[in-house]
Amino acid sequence: MFTLRRWWDRHRLQIILTSLALGSAAFLRQTEGAVLYEAYRLVTFPFQPNLERKAALENAQVQELQQRLTELESQNQQLRSIVGYVSETKKSQITAPVVGRSADHWWQHLILGRGTQGGVQPGSIVMAPGGVVGRVISATPNTSRVLLLSDPSSRVGATVSRSRNMGYVRGQTSNRAVMEFFDKLPDVRQGDVITTSSLSKLFPAGLPIGRVQSVNLNKSPAPEAIIELSTPISFLEWAVVYPHKPAVQFKLSPSGQAIEKSAESVPAQSDQIEPQL
Amino acid sequence: MRNESLFERLQDRPFARVLVNCAVTVLSVLLCSIILPTRLPGMEIAGIGPNWLLIWVVVWSVKRSMFQGALAGLALGLIQDGMTAYTPTHVISLMLVGILTARLRKERYLREDFISVALIAFAMAVIAETVMAIQYSIQGDRSLVEIWTYHQLIALGSAVLSSLWAPVIYFPLNRWWQQMSLLEQQS
Repeated sequence: MFTLRRWWDRHRLQIILTSLALGSAAFLRQTEGAVLYEAYRLVTFPFQPNLERKAALENAQVQELQQRLTELESQNQQLRSIVGYVSETKKSQITAPVVGRSADHWWQHLILGRGTQGGVQPGSIVMAPGGVVGRVISATPNTSRVLLLSDPSSRVGATVSRSRNMGYVRGQTSNRAVMEFFDKLPDVRQGDVITTSSLSKLFPAGLPIGRVQSVNLNKSPAPEAIIELSTPISFLEWAVVYPHKPAVQFKLSPSGQAIEKSAESVPAQSDQIEPQL
Repeated sequence: MRNESLFERLQDRPFARVLVNCAVTVLSVLLCSIILPTRLPGMEIAGIGPNWLLIWVVVWSVKRSMFQGALAGLALGLIQDGMTAYTPTHVISLMLVGILTARLRKERYLREDFISVALIAFAMAVIAETVMAIQYSIQGDRSLVEIWTYHQLIALGSAVLSSLWAPVIYFPLNRWWQQMSLLEQQS
């Protein structure tokens, strides 16, 4: 008895610890390590964006949207032919590499690697994956300079594609822009798609610009919405240039009447959205 | 060796010397203007790169008179205006940079080495961007809050990067101009 007592006193701690370890090991074995996996997931959760699933879902969504788009386009074509709408000719597109950025920090420019020899003219529209990025403001034989939508001096007539409320989009140097509305109470919500409006002189109507991130209806003098541009402007490598004729200039005659210089007719409101360079 | 022979050959011909000196100077300006629109990885912070033309003006004005500094600022300001837009102009900021840099040297606050050039470039970049911000404020087509918050970002970014890259331009150009003035004194 005494020897047993001595043995227990000497090895008590070791025994307790060993049995605890063995017990918990057995528990884990019985539950197939569920606690461990849960803990692992909890610890690594911030570092796992679950990319594969996201990409698969996005792909599926893109496919669905593309199918719906083709369907709508063909319907639109049919309706136009019924109405007798003179369809515009398919415009040629010029793919150009992005070779540089603005030569100072106050302007938001892109330098493209194609110029007048490649068919790029000042006023051409520049698109990139995601939507419109800007327009060509000057072109040399082999390069052209693009004023981005994110430049604060760029003002583009825009419309909320759901409710057709009009306004104009002003750049804010980052990937965001501000849209100011013409209406006092515009119907606009977070997540709405913003496209170029039919009143814009510089851009053809219906090109996607971005999504509404937040809305501030109390802003004076006009309600504002923060737009997140849909193109990743900061790391563009390629852009597509579409020739476009923006040259509708209004000139006031001595009698105060607006005279159009160009043959195209555009409502006079579009003067409000003329960008200042 | 080959360099020395070039210098020796130039020593006897003052006309060729001036010609070569101008060519090197002009080439360095061209080089600076050409790197201006690039944003190489490691050379940019948040889309902001070094202001190469400002570095060139600083390097030029460090050992020259205020008038020469102002002239360099004028020329390079015009170049940068051409590469971006005419209003607001870069002429004022770069001229101010040239004048201030030349003036600073006369007082001999700082020893002549590349650290002092980096320091000057830092201060001048901040001054230049501030002048631009003031011009935008006067112009008044952007809101003041927008201008000055953006000014903080680019003044700091451009100043840090310009000061880091200033020695790259300062060393070769300074050495070249030193050799040239040596030759001038010898002949």
